Amino acid sequence: MFFLNPSSGVPLYVQLQQQLEQRILSGQLLHGAQLPSVRDLSAELHINPLTVVKVYQALEREGFVETKRGLGTYVAHESPALKIEARRRQIGPAVEQLVAEALHLGLGEKEIQALLSEKFRQFKSKS
Amino acid sequence: MNESPILVQKVSRAYDGPPVVRDLSFAVKPGSIYGFLGRNGSGKTTTLRMLAGLIRPQAGEVRILGQDPFTIGAAERQWLGYMSEKAVVPAFTRVSSVLNLGRELYPTWDGTLADALIARYDLSRKKRFMTLSQGNQRLLSFIMAIAPRPRVLLLDEPAANLDVVARREILDDILDLIRDCGCTVLFSTHILSDVERVADEIGILAKGSLRVSETLDSLKDSIRQVRFFGFPNGIPAGDIPESFRAVRGKDEITITLRTNSVTTPETLARRWSCQQETRALNLEDIFVELSRN
Repeated sequence: MFFLNPSSGVPLYVQLQQQLEQRILSGQLLHGAQLPSVRDLSAELHINPLTVVKVYQALEREGFVETKRGLGTYVAHESPALKIEARRRQIGPAVEQLVAEALHLGLGEKEIQALLSEKFRQFKSKS
Repeated sequence: MNESPILVQKVSRAYDGPPVVRDLSFAVKPGSIYGFLGRNGSGKTTTLRMLAGLIRPQAGEVRILGQDPFTIGAAERQWLGYMSEKAVVPAFTRVSSVLNLGRELYPTWDGTLADALIARYDLSRKKRFMTLSQGNQRLLSFIMAIAPRPRVLLLDEPAANLDVVARREILDDILDLIRDCGCTVLFSTHILSDVERVADEIGILAKGSLRVSETLDSLKDSIRQVRFFGFPNGIPAGDIPESFRAVRGKDEITITLRTNSVTTPETLARRWSCQQETRALNLEDIFVELSRN
């Protein structure tokens, strides 16, 4: 199940692509797993099939999936370089937001780093 | 087929007064769902009536599958599904007779599809047209438009008077039609959440001309609302080039613009030595921004 919000300023294809990438990166979708067909996924999500095609093509370009002609779309074997790069990209918008907010509030790099370290400690002690 | 199944070229049309549609041009790609938006009176219905071959443009031309819809014969007409704003059916006609009419008119009429939709929408064949609720009248009109399995489908406010569940159902049926037979769809609506779910291309009409005609993704990717603030020397006066709309406040300006144009939020902020804050807009915001003067 994917959670799409058509009435958001973020295009549907971006939302779907991010969620699929996130599942592949976090290992919820293992390599070799078959993705639903364009037809099935667009029917399930009640969205235009072209949106799904666009997402699958982008995922293939980025190396997340492979399309076997006539068979379907499969999660590709992971490449470590891709993984770290893609993870950085996933977190990029959140980091950008954080820095923008910090500058807005007049907080400096040091203060933000201290806050981040504190948060990391909290999460580590919880897990 | 590379040619656009729906083509509007430099079309103008007036009734008794000033033109309702002015020098309008756009094309819909094969297999696309084009959401046709605009305020009341912006010319949507007139454009759809020209595309359906009911009225003729006074200037320019319209083409459906490469042909003039005003002059096509019965054989081609079945490729063109049209659901008008208001269905005109004699009041006492039964649902079953309306369906029989469809079967007689269109050799490609898909009786199995019609039956499935009648069952799905829970319409009674025995009922007379005028005793159906307005929503059910719309659903019957929709069945009449899609059961011939058209290659081009024109829908004028298909979702008007429908509840949320029925709206979702007809959207799914439109999507099914596209998946099954590569139909190309143009639909007008005021319900923007429907458009955001299924349309891949969007046209926003204002006073008979298109403000934009492009993919919904590129609209959402490129149009931003930017608030400029912290002006050292007061608010700059004059027009802002390439912007859709600028609203001046006491010590800030909010501008709707495209980030991929020459004038970006960053270049403006640099020019004015001020700060800026950018937000993405959803389709409703974009529609309101582009439809206002």
